[in-house]
Amino acid sequence: MKLKWWKTLGILLVLYSIIAGLLMPVPALNILNETIRNLYFHVTMWFSMIILMLMSLIQSIRYLSSFDKLRDVKAETLASTGMFIATLGLTTGMIWAQFTWGTFWVNDPKLNGAAVTMLIYLAYFILRNSIENEDSRARVSAIYNILAFVMMIVFIGILPRMTDSLHPGNGGNPGFGNYDLDSNMRMVFYPAVIGWILIGSWIAQLSYRIKVLEINKENN
Amino acid sequence: MFKQVKELVIKDIRLNWRERYALYSMLLYVVSTSYVAYLSFEGIISENSWVALFWIIVLFAAMNASLQSFKKELNEQALFFYTLAKPRAILLSKTIYNSGLLIILTLLSYFIYSLFLGSPITAHWTFILCIILGSSAIASTLTLVAAIASKTNNSAGLMAVLSMPLLFPLLLNLIKTSKLCLSADLYFLAGNQLLFLALLNIVSVLLSYLLFPYLWRD
Repeated sequence: MKLKWWKTLGILLVLYSIIAGLLMPVPALNILNETIRNLYFHVTMWFSMIILMLMSLIQSIRYLSSFDKLRDVKAETLASTGMFIATLGLTTGMIWAQFTWGTFWVNDPKLNGAAVTMLIYLAYFILRNSIENEDSRARVSAIYNILAFVMMIVFIGILPRMTDSLHPGNGGNPGFGNYDLDSNMRMVFYPAVIGWILIGSWIAQLSYRIKVLEINKENN
Repeated sequence: MFKQVKELVIKDIRLNWRERYALYSMLLYVVSTSYVAYLSFEGIISENSWVALFWIIVLFAAMNASLQSFKKELNEQALFFYTLAKPRAILLSKTIYNSGLLIILTLLSYFIYSLFLGSPITAHWTFILCIILGSSAIASTLTLVAAIASKTNNSAGLMAVLSMPLLFPLLLNLIKTSKLCLSADLYFLAGNQLLFLALLNIVSVLLSYLLFPYLWRD
């Protein structure tokens, strides 16, 4: 079996980030301590999810300009892969919160934004399933996907920045900032981001191919 | 374009005025929920609950109001409208009409609600600005969602599923802004929140303006 170079690169980078992320030294910051290693998993997964949702958005826009059905399938599989990675990111974040804050969930703008994002995309899948006509399903869900992405950027990008938050990186908490992330951590963090984006695209590509096979089987 | 929008808004006002029972039913909804709240809280309500309950009542009134906005536009008459006017003009007119309706409805609910439960608000003008910006943001988001939901088989159920997550941060923001209006010393802090409401207004109107032409045709 021969793999495309970017798939091999994805495997290598994620493997590297897991091994180096657990073994390399990290700065000892108050509150966070060793849990700062979650940066390599939780934050990278949210980055990867946002990139996947962005790719899904681009496919939706291209669907609306070309009405090519495969673009709609691509948008759907990218969004569902993004949801899968977001679930992983949420789970790692919740486990981290249990050890740092002592509870799995707090009422915090950033966490609310994440929950709302998941709900919006779940509504996207419900919307898809509730329209029977294939053409109008593709068109309406492409429109909702664009709406969902813009709202997601507002809710997790702009809204939490307006208020103080418990989440690292906000309100004076140590986190993903210039002072807190030393060069050792960058050497693991950036490869991990790229690695998870590549792995995410690979999963999306596989589920896209499965979907296309199913569609072809139905048509024959 | 502007002339079309104006004509369409006037058409909407006329049509809905002819069927006033829908407006009366919304008013009755506000009166009865306020009365139920008055009875269940026995007239004594904490400031936080006052704010939260007020916006929840407004939210459901808004959902009912905007659900009707695309119901009438699904038949042959709608196709006729789309040949007469630009789809964007139709959407803008609906947004303007819904925003106006909801602003009036929310102000009326504020009046009725304070009649039963009293009003802890001290920064009145800031709160009224918050009501105006908030209701128009709710209305412009709900108009696009109603247009999307009208394309499905189960539009009433889907309307709630689609709009709740989109309105939830807006609702939190409105509750927060209203809480700032409770005290006469803090209301100037509401400026940022009001700015965010205005931004959300612009974003949702812009999005619906861009996306609606793809949505209407079947």
